[in-house]
Amino acid sequence: MKDISFGSYFPAESFVHKMDARVKILVAIAYMVAVFLVSAFHFLGFAACLLFVIIATAISKVPFMRVLSGIKTIIFFVTFSAVLQLFFNKQGTVVWWVITDVGLINAGFIVARIVLIVLGASLLTLTTSPVELADGIEGLLYPLKWIKFPVHEFALIMSIALRFIPTLIEETDRIIKAQKARGADFESGNVFKRAKALIPVLIPLLIGSFRRADELADAMDSRCYACSKTRTRYKKMKLSFRDLFGVLFVAGLIVGIVFLNKFYLLQGLAQIAGAL
Amino acid sequence: MEVVAKNLTFTYSAKTKSLAFKALNGVSVRIAEGEFFGIIGKTGSGKSTFVQHINGLIKVQKGGGALFVGNHDLADKKCDYKSLRAKVGMMFQYPEHQLFAETVESDVAFAIKNFAPNTPTEEINARVKYAMELVGLDYNALKDKSPFDLSGGQKRRVAIAGVIVAKPEILVLDEPAAGLDPKGKREFLELLNKLHKDFVKTIIIVSHDMNLVSEYCTGAAVFSDGKILAVGAPKEIFSDKDLIEKSGLDLPLTAYLTAKLREKGVNADNDCTVDGFVDSVCRAFNIGGKEL
Amino acid sequence: MALLEVKNVSYSYDKATRALKGVTFNVEEGEFVAVIGHNGSGKSTLAKLLNGIYKPSAGEIIVDGFSSADKNSVFEIRKRVGMVFQNPDNQLVASIVEDDIAFGPENLGIPREEIGKRIDFALKAVGMEEFRKSSPTHLSGGQKQRIAIAGVLALKPKILVLDESTAMLDPQGRKEIAEVVETLRKSGVAVIAVTHYMDEAVKADKVLVLDRGVIALSGAPKQVFSQKTALDKLGLELPLSGIIADKLRARGANIPDDIISEEDLLGALWKL
Repeated sequence: MKDISFGSYFPAESFVHKMDARVKILVAIAYMVAVFLVSAFHFLGFAACLLFVIIATAISKVPFMRVLSGIKTIIFFVTFSAVLQLFFNKQGTVVWWVITDVGLINAGFIVARIVLIVLGASLLTLTTSPVELADGIEGLLYPLKWIKFPVHEFALIMSIALRFIPTLIEETDRIIKAQKARGADFESGNVFKRAKALIPVLIPLLIGSFRRADELADAMDSRCYACSKTRTRYKKMKLSFRDLFGVLFVAGLIVGIVFLNKFYLLQGLAQIAGAL
Repeated sequence: MEVVAKNLTFTYSAKTKSLAFKALNGVSVRIAEGEFFGIIGKTGSGKSTFVQHINGLIKVQKGGGALFVGNHDLADKKCDYKSLRAKVGMMFQYPEHQLFAETVESDVAFAIKNFAPNTPTEEINARVKYAMELVGLDYNALKDKSPFDLSGGQKRRVAIAGVIVAKPEILVLDEPAAGLDPKGKREFLELLNKLHKDFVKTIIIVSHDMNLVSEYCTGAAVFSDGKILAVGAPKEIFSDKDLIEKSGLDLPLTAYLTAKLREKGVNADNDCTVDGFVDSVCRAFNIGGKEL
Repeated sequence: MALLEVKNVSYSYDKATRALKGVTFNVEEGEFVAVIGHNGSGKSTLAKLLNGIYKPSAGEIIVDGFSSADKNSVFEIRKRVGMVFQNPDNQLVASIVEDDIAFGPENLGIPREEIGKRIDFALKAVGMEEFRKSSPTHLSGGQKQRIAIAGVLALKPKILVLDESTAMLDPQGRKEIAEVVETLRKSGVAVIAVTHYMDEAVKADKVLVLDRGVIALSGAPKQVFSQKTALDKLGLELPLSGIIADKLRARGANIPDDIISEEDLLGALWKL
């Protein structure tokens, strides 16, 4: 009846949505590497990264505002880091009051880095459902089987966790209502009072979860969990031309940034040489 | 206290158009003081959304109509929900959703501590004892036990004691008998009947079980797709077979049999309770025996 | 030899109390057996013994030739005895219907193509083909429980145990499950339903009434439900039709004592 959605997945049929989750995760990681590769004092690299996100967002059909709203959650963190740089960086020459030119540049640099990384990460979660993400991570971890990492168990844990999140949200809602009906007040009082008010919610939720876990274990046993040493996998992920395109796109970004860095380095050297 | 809803309308996820779901669509009903009122309808018909409005667990939406419970105007933003909830007790389907304290006594006392924090300990204990005995629990034997060590039936009784301890005038129960075996269900309904006679003025019960509604309720409202299709005594509601079918419900067995008898020209008019049905059959077929 | 033989089975959770004492019965291919009894009668314990979640403390359960006494046969037994529990939410492991149904066959190491076929088969058996790619969160209770049944059917069991699987469902959901049970019986799967709904038990071929760990009554529904005094003592009620028939009889109406369904009752009323 009620639609409980979690995470930030934005359902749509787009090129980006249809990409293989494994590749999308890899591309997102590569993109973050690219952001980190941009060397200080060279904002052109950031421009390239921003362009990358803008193009990817445009293709993904996700509204720009949705991608931007990802920044909201980290705004405090960003401001804090920027303020630290602005007021406590003593390098360079003072521009105004205690603020130095290096501090100013560093602050801008840090803000740009964090914002770009968050934009990339939110685009990934907006275009990939939690289930696909879990499958993608499982697929990427698969080679670890050779070093006896329990990939399958890990994947099952992720799958069950995702499966039960909506169920537990629903249960929490019911418990809150049952206690509110008995006069529980979750909205007033100081922090301690509010924390204490949560006890009548947390205890039934916890006990309920243990009961669920117990029943789930019986149900899994009944469905022959661990009956056979070789377990097969029904779900199969297939790579397509889109994935190749995504990889090439992000590879282009990295090459571009490395080139820019080099160019800047050469230019700098030339300047130094000229000065000499 | 009576409950009066006028054109009550409620939409879930109203902000997102694609997810919006109209759970109540112009519900108007008056539930008089003293009724044992049934709210019936299939899953998703809006009956739970409606009863959760009655004690403000779901708030009346802006432009969502009017709802009065006694003197409380629930569409008014300044409505005092705490005093409302003290007068309108609500129990949900599973006792496990409300039991949390270390002992039965402190769990039952929870509502008093919330609604009347300054109540002296002796009075709290006396009221807990009264509530527990009212629902048929042995106070001395159970008060120091953990509610989690009790049987299913006892848990349900502790849960209802934890609601009526606040001395509500109206008791709302959402599917209170679901999951109980037939005997447990009958005992629980007998308990509600007793409470209705001696303790709470009005009982409002949400149920899927038409046999239960026809047997115990004085009045009922049929919900379908967020609307009320009919309000009245069970006998009136269940005499309209088409309406019940249209709402995706079944007739209670007594009403079904009565309808069948009438189709064949047998005059078997009755109030849809089991005893009423038996009486009417005996009358129609000239069977003696003592009236039930 | 019967498909399932329960031979003199006892089970104790601890030394003090025995949940089951010397229970014996057989189930044949395609048979529908209902197990009833008040809370604490041992009916859920019995269900959990049937597929090896619990092991008998004494006695033996033989499924399709595999004995519970043989340690190595527990997996063989589980392949043959599927089990569906009360709360559909606590049985589903995946967020997409087809992935959930694949769980059982994956555990058996069945090849991918075959799993696909089994998902088709299982969804068809419960009439949920169109929900293959859906998320169980958005389904009704009855639909979720049908998916739970499909997840078990994908293992191609010979016996399906329903452990109070309809207790949390609305009347619509219960009807849906009853239809699925009917289809399964026809296809030769034996169904053992632990239930407290008497109207479900009347549809069975055989009813077992448990009381304090022993089988107190057993037989065809008409045989069992005509013994009102015995049932009363066991803390059980007749189906509502039986209660009405009984009250009419008490008033002197000429009504037979084996009324268990509304059809029976109507038939008897016409004869008045």
